[in-house]
Amino acid sequence: MVGKILRVEKKVGDRVEEDEVIIVMEAMKMEIPIVAPASGVVKELKAEAGQAVEADQPLAQIE
Amino acid sequence: MPKKRREELEKKLAEIEKRVLEGDPKAAAKQHAEGKLTARERIKKLLDPDSFVEEFMLAETQCTDFGMAEKKQPSDGVVSGYGKIDGRPIYLFAQDRTVLAGTVGSAHAEKIACVIQTARKLGVPLIGLYDSVGARIQEGLTVTTAIGKVFFENSIASGVIPQISAIMGPCIGVASYSPALTDFILMVQGSSQMFITGPPVIKEVLGEEVTMEELGGAKIHSEVSGVADLVTKNDEECLSLIRRLLSFLPPNSQSAPPRRETRDDAERSVNVLEKVVPEDMRKAYNVVQVIKALVDDSDFLGLKEKFARNLVIGLGRLNGYPVGFVANQPMFLAGSLDVDASDKGARFIRFCDAFNIPIITLMDVPGFFPGKQQEEKGIIRHGAKLLYAYAEATVPKITLVLRKGYGGAKQAMCTREMGADQLFVWPGVELAVMGGAGAVNVLYRREIEQSEEPEKTRREKMEEYAERFSGPFEALSKQFAHAVLRPAETRRGLIRALEILREKKEERPKKKHGVMPV
Repeated sequence: MVGKILRVEKKVGDRVEEDEVIIVMEAMKMEIPIVAPASGVVKELKAEAGQAVEADQPLAQIE
Repeated sequence: MPKKRREELEKKLAEIEKRVLEGDPKAAAKQHAEGKLTARERIKKLLDPDSFVEEFMLAETQCTDFGMAEKKQPSDGVVSGYGKIDGRPIYLFAQDRTVLAGTVGSAHAEKIACVIQTARKLGVPLIGLYDSVGARIQEGLTVTTAIGKVFFENSIASGVIPQISAIMGPCIGVASYSPALTDFILMVQGSSQMFITGPPVIKEVLGEEVTMEELGGAKIHSEVSGVADLVTKNDEECLSLIRRLLSFLPPNSQSAPPRRETRDDAERSVNVLEKVVPEDMRKAYNVVQVIKALVDDSDFLGLKEKFARNLVIGLGRLNGYPVGFVANQPMFLAGSLDVDASDKGARFIRFCDAFNIPIITLMDVPGFFPGKQQEEKGIIRHGAKLLYAYAEATVPKITLVLRKGYGGAKQAMCTREMGADQLFVWPGVELAVMGGAGAVNVLYRREIEQSEEPEKTRREKMEEYAERFSGPFEALSKQFAHAVLRPAETRRGLIRALEILREKKEERPKKKHGVMPV
């Protein structure tokens, strides 16, 4: 979904559970949580607050 | 017949039956090594104790080509018959990997077709457990002909009896169309795959290298293709989930779904809802928590949970009576409707309607998901499915607007004009023809353009617009909604509405069938 990053709630190295919020973006006039598709450790984050993002753009990598 | 001869025949029959029931221990060990149960073990776990009655146990292939005369075995690789689940009769078949690797021969396919036809005639649910390496090519054209009969019977039984398919091993090639024609598909993680063309053919034709799991494993079908409704960790979990799913369903389209007694009070206040759903329209929440708070004993069976996650569908009970839920999920795509969500919702609505399950729609929809990609994928024809399915459905339909409904997406979530029998709103709703920013640009373009401070004017007009359309009064005065429900009294309100709708009868014009925009 095209939109803007509002907040990044996790940092590299954080452990996340499936469906836990990693990033909050703003799109369609709403705050949309981006949740972890699977449990793991955040390996890479490519998002920062204020950044505009495109659909299908990778924002984080979980291992 | 001389007594001696009869005794000989009986002895022979008993020997064959014993051999079939005991099976091939080596093949069974192989199945166990893969973490799977055999067909007969599965049936035993699925059904009520000692309720299985087997049919056509000694059916075998009539083919003698390519050495089949020597290889043939009784049952032909599928176990079929009837039994009971929670005391209710069902028909089933289970492909048996320990006999001829579960390959589908003509006798095998004829047995399956017969089970489906019988289940339809008797009006009992059908369960199919799939685990087969594919069609038995030694048998040539007779196999594909027999498989064709299975497709035909699945199609004819559709909407007459519930059909549940569990994929508990490979289900590949043309065989995957049999479960595809049924109402629900369960897959077991790691051991089940479904695809039309396998890795070798793909490599040969396209030069692509892909594994069976990447091509058609449980993950792909539950998250990307939308083929699977439920995914389970292992065989045991799969079989118990079939029992749970069946507990919501009637045996056929002429019967009511079974009521389950509950201690959960029909008048229970649901105070938690005020906390779950934020007042700030910009904030998302998980609508599954809303549904779980409303249904009896928090028992909600979500379907296709990881596919088109912007729309939640599933089964629950209110005061013991099964209901189907369709709800926008603000956690994903802001709860907007896209191509896949429309498809997912429409199919479920039609299932509920076919089997007399009332539909509860929870609306919180910002619109159809905008963009070139959605238009190219045909959001017009896909979105139309939702409208069509709701209009077509004659079961009790109750809609509750939790927060907002904009534009045509409102209709796609079942408004009164689309046939909602009862439409409720929560007090803080916002219902409008379109969102504030867009509306103001059209309604007040001149004022904004001519204003000395256009931005200020725009903001003021947007506030005015929001004021005008927020809250329940517009909806109530224009008879959009029957009444307001306070969040805490939602469960009670829905149960009372269901009660008054219980004997609802609604007819549609007589026709062969509509032409759904599929």
